[in-house]
Amino acid sequence: MARGVLVLIEHCEGKIDSAASQLLAIGQRLAEKLKVELVAAVIGYRHDGVVRALQSAALDRIVAVDDPRLARASGEVQAQALGEVARQIKPRLILMGYTLAGMELAPAIAARLGANAFTNCVGIDAVDGAVKVTRPVFDNTLHVEIALEGDETAVVALQKGAAPELKPSAKEAPVERLALDLENFSAQSRLVGVTEEPRGEVDLTKAAIIVAVGRGIGGAEKIRLVSELAEALGGVLACSRPVVDVGWLPRERQVGASGKTVAPKVYIACGISGAIQHLSGMRESKRIIAINKDPNAPIFQVAHFGVIGDLFEIVPALTKAAKESRPG
Amino acid sequence: MNIVVCCKAVPGLVTEVKVGADAKSLEYQGQLLAINECDEYALEEALALKRAHGGNVTVVTMGNIKALEILYFALAKGADRAVRVDCETSDARVASTVLAAALKKLDFDLVLTGTQARDTLGGQVGIAAAALLGLPFAYAVVEIQMASASAVKARKELGGGRYAEVELSLPALLCVQTGIQPLAFVPPARRMRARQQSVASFTPADLGLDPAALAPKGYRLVDVHPPQRSHRVEFLDGTPQEIAAALISKIREAL
Repeated sequence: MARGVLVLIEHCEGKIDSAASQLLAIGQRLAEKLKVELVAAVIGYRHDGVVRALQSAALDRIVAVDDPRLARASGEVQAQALGEVARQIKPRLILMGYTLAGMELAPAIAARLGANAFTNCVGIDAVDGAVKVTRPVFDNTLHVEIALEGDETAVVALQKGAAPELKPSAKEAPVERLALDLENFSAQSRLVGVTEEPRGEVDLTKAAIIVAVGRGIGGAEKIRLVSELAEALGGVLACSRPVVDVGWLPRERQVGASGKTVAPKVYIACGISGAIQHLSGMRESKRIIAINKDPNAPIFQVAHFGVIGDLFEIVPALTKAAKESRPG
Repeated sequence: MNIVVCCKAVPGLVTEVKVGADAKSLEYQGQLLAINECDEYALEEALALKRAHGGNVTVVTMGNIKALEILYFALAKGADRAVRVDCETSDARVASTVLAAALKKLDFDLVLTGTQARDTLGGQVGIAAAALLGLPFAYAVVEIQMASASAVKARKELGGGRYAEVELSLPALLCVQTGIQPLAFVPPARRMRARQQSVASFTPADLGLDPAALAPKGYRLVDVHPPQRSHRVEFLDGTPQEIAAALISKIREAL
């Protein structure tokens, strides 16, 4: 049998990351098309709940490494452990999520294996036994399609996004416990602790309308223009990362992979170009309206309604119209 | 503390992007190269650490002669030394192999770089070089503090407003997020003066690398195209007032 597909399962406090369940569904489809085995690997400590949850996911087998030294392991140690698991399984494909953890681990695992890594992928498919991945380049304005060649292991890190339905299985996948020689791992780093961003005055996740401002606004003093629109619509002001980076708005207003993930009824993006990190935090919004002067801005990839124009003309007109149409 | 900052020269607006004849890279018409944004933040953080703890800052880039521009920019910002590795590649495995070899030639306690280059959006080379050199690493770092004379404490993003604090023995490599320090303005006169400084240059052969080992392999670029949209965006036209009226009704019907 040809070499298979290995899915690396990210989990936290006994729960499988949502990216990992998408990967399992993608892995199922790939393994079927390639007619190879589908394996999931979980590393950690006392993660039996995670392993049990995986058993019903139509996998050929599950490889689990359970070791107290993996309880609070740094990326450095995790990459060695996952690299060692991959070395023993020798898969054709290693699938992982392009989450913050995946961004750190994918290149390290690939480097340890001497393998290619294809990160930030938005798609993967197999046609007639050949695997093809799709990933963004040039600020997310273009997608490049890459055909994998040869039989060497490749690491593919996939963005969260649309995935096929996960097929459950009646038969439980067997679990193989693997003991790794962790003593001999290099451990020049250690995880000290995990903290949450302190709760601020706004909860973006509960807003029905979000009006978000991007770097295109051009200055802190001009943000008032957008906050007036938010107020007129009865919505909440949010922003993309660059606005926080330059200190125009506090971190608690940031929507995106590093900030808040939101899905309001209406999301209005003003002067936001649409970096992947931003899109991943708001693409599930029910109705997305984007105002941007660049017709090629990636924000229009997810917008339902778009306005190509100057936000300094459109936003005040919209604020005025919102005030006039307000009931009562 | 001696710090090496790895920076990439990236094009601004690109046009006529197509798959290259080797099917391993993209060809395009691009405007002037500039320092990749998060790499500039890494440099700014290195300079802040130098101000606080002493030592020197060496800036390294890989690329052709045009990439010198960003090294002069880094020198103008306050880097002590600049090194260019004369190697052009968009392959992460090759780039990290070359970068790891270059880092071996340099004296450092800490390596800083950005998270992701705006052209390839790969985010691989820093971490991969660390793994090749056996250095501890952390990605998406938003704060760096000295933990002791031989260790740093890094706060890194986990996503969704969560952070991890990691302690790393030196030498270590950290991939820095945008926003870690405010970017300082560089006066044009200083940028002019920086052009007089010398820049060390290495070829992959100088680094002891075999050119045959530096050939990308295992894939072929097939196509490059604008992203396919899951749905079509409906663009609204008219005067700002007409657009505003149309948008209000689109907003109301969605509530």
